[in-house]
Amino acid sequence: MKKIFIFFLLPNLIFAELLLEITKGSENPYRVAIIPFQSDVSSVNNIVKVIKDDLLRSGEFYILDESMLLSIPTSIEEINSSEWKLLNIDFIVLGKISDEDNSSVKATYEIYDVSRKTKIRSSTVYGIPGRLRQLSHYVSDGIYESITGMRGVSTTKILYVNEIIDNDNLNYILYVADADGANEQELLRSNEPIISPSWSPDSKKVAYVSFETGMAKVFIQEIASGKREMVIENDHQISSPAWSPDGKFLSLTLFQDGNAEIYILNLVNKNLTRLTKHYSIDTESSWSPKGTKILFTSGRSGSPQLYEIDLTKFNTKPSRLTFEGNYNAKGSYLPNNEGIIFVHRSTNQFQIALKYFDENFIRPLTESKLDESPSVSPNGNVIIYAITDNKSGMIAGVTLSGATFVLPATNGKVREPAWSGFLR
Amino acid sequence: MKKNKKLLISYSLVGLFIASCSSVQVTEEAVYEDSIQSIEVSSNRSSLEVPSSSRAVVANATVYFEFDKYNLSTRSIQALKSISDLMSENPSIEITIAGHADERGTREYNLALGQRRAESVADYLVLKGISRSRLTIKSYGEEMPAVSGSNERSWGRNRRAEIN
Repeated sequence: MKKIFIFFLLPNLIFAELLLEITKGSENPYRVAIIPFQSDVSSVNNIVKVIKDDLLRSGEFYILDESMLLSIPTSIEEINSSEWKLLNIDFIVLGKISDEDNSSVKATYEIYDVSRKTKIRSSTVYGIPGRLRQLSHYVSDGIYESITGMRGVSTTKILYVNEIIDNDNLNYILYVADADGANEQELLRSNEPIISPSWSPDSKKVAYVSFETGMAKVFIQEIASGKREMVIENDHQISSPAWSPDGKFLSLTLFQDGNAEIYILNLVNKNLTRLTKHYSIDTESSWSPKGTKILFTSGRSGSPQLYEIDLTKFNTKPSRLTFEGNYNAKGSYLPNNEGIIFVHRSTNQFQIALKYFDENFIRPLTESKLDESPSVSPNGNVIIYAITDNKSGMIAGVTLSGATFVLPATNGKVREPAWSGFLR
Repeated sequence: MKKNKKLLISYSLVGLFIASCSSVQVTEEAVYEDSIQSIEVSSNRSSLEVPSSSRAVVANATVYFEFDKYNLSTRSIQALKSISDLMSENPSIEITIAGHADERGTREYNLALGQRRAESVADYLVLKGISRSRLTIKSYGEEMPAVSGSNERSWGRNRRAEIN
């Protein structure tokens, strides 16, 4: 059964929409003034609000309240630097939104560096009417990039699974949404569980585990067309898909040996290569940023711990990476390959933790009871994960600079978040 | 965090360097967005498993496990002994063993743990002379809890293998 949604017909319908809520910011943020944008477009306030929320959610920005502005310059030439130094402002953003024609809305913005008394950026973005949040995200990523020197992630997307009771039936829905949780759209709806969504490196496809046949099976689905296929058809369970960075391979957990073992599937010729061989559980594989190593969870020490296999060396033994505590699982690499994030059990809490390769201790990042499924943003700066709170599930986030936020679900349980690559 | 600050500083130095050479960064871009298609699948759960009510003799049991463990308890073995006796006397009976985990820990590890629990049950039955071809093994991990609730009692009820 196929159901086709044309996305622009549904912008006002709210399903399990997630809402941004900053719970704590960074201790040493960039201080920015965003001057009210000049515009003849009625939705200009919403556009600016989305830009501000994007910057705040990164945890690295303080944005001066409009009521505190001492003047409203209409151009860079009107900026009086001493006035902004008084307000302790580092950067000023000036912007303008205009209707180009029926098919385009134009945003122009400039960024002024107060301490250096100079304009550092002048940009134009052409947006699609009715898709003004996207236009806002492009602007905020430009601002983020110029000020921090890192690529922004407001234009990226997240996948997650929503378990919801709909007309007395339990439904599992795989959603794709903007990184701020808005603009969510169904990719797959099923009456059986869906777990472990994973993006292809080009963010055009997703792989996931669906129980629709009665047991766990891995599918690949093309986002734009909805075309999907079961990657391996046999009588056994298959789970935990992860794409290699070049998109040519999928690592998987196969259960055909009577036990969970990790295999690598060549997506072109469908050849399978067995990677692990141990009587204990081996699963939750993920690839290093260059695709030369695979991180996985193994029970071979008697409790789940993280191990790494070097794919460039023939037949090497996996090396153990975690030693603290009796539960370290579902690991993934930071995009800069400086460390790993994973689920760590400390006493009776399951929390998200970080371990840098050049440190011999782990850094706990979260503190609720049942945190799981950490996924890192493509710029390596933000980690989203699933929390369970009073029987409901939602997505929370933490930045490496110490800011935290939640994307609360208004409906059902939300879990299994997965962050896309860069899309802009 | 210490590490990240170091990163930020090095990035902003690069930024400053570029800016001092070229002064203003000028960009022009257009918002691009791919279309998204939604699909729906459904399974008729009753058609996936042979309904036990249609059988003359029913082999049903649930056995429970400790956290992160898949070995059988004495009590489980007693329950499984009745199943193996029943299956020995009724060679037409085929069963499905579905392993489950509680909500704690990661979903994929729990899927594998549920599988090991189902395998433990299967291994016992095979040792008792039941042909493996009569057993279908699968796991639902933590996806199908028997009871809700985040407490020891609920978790204990959910760490199970169901035979039917």
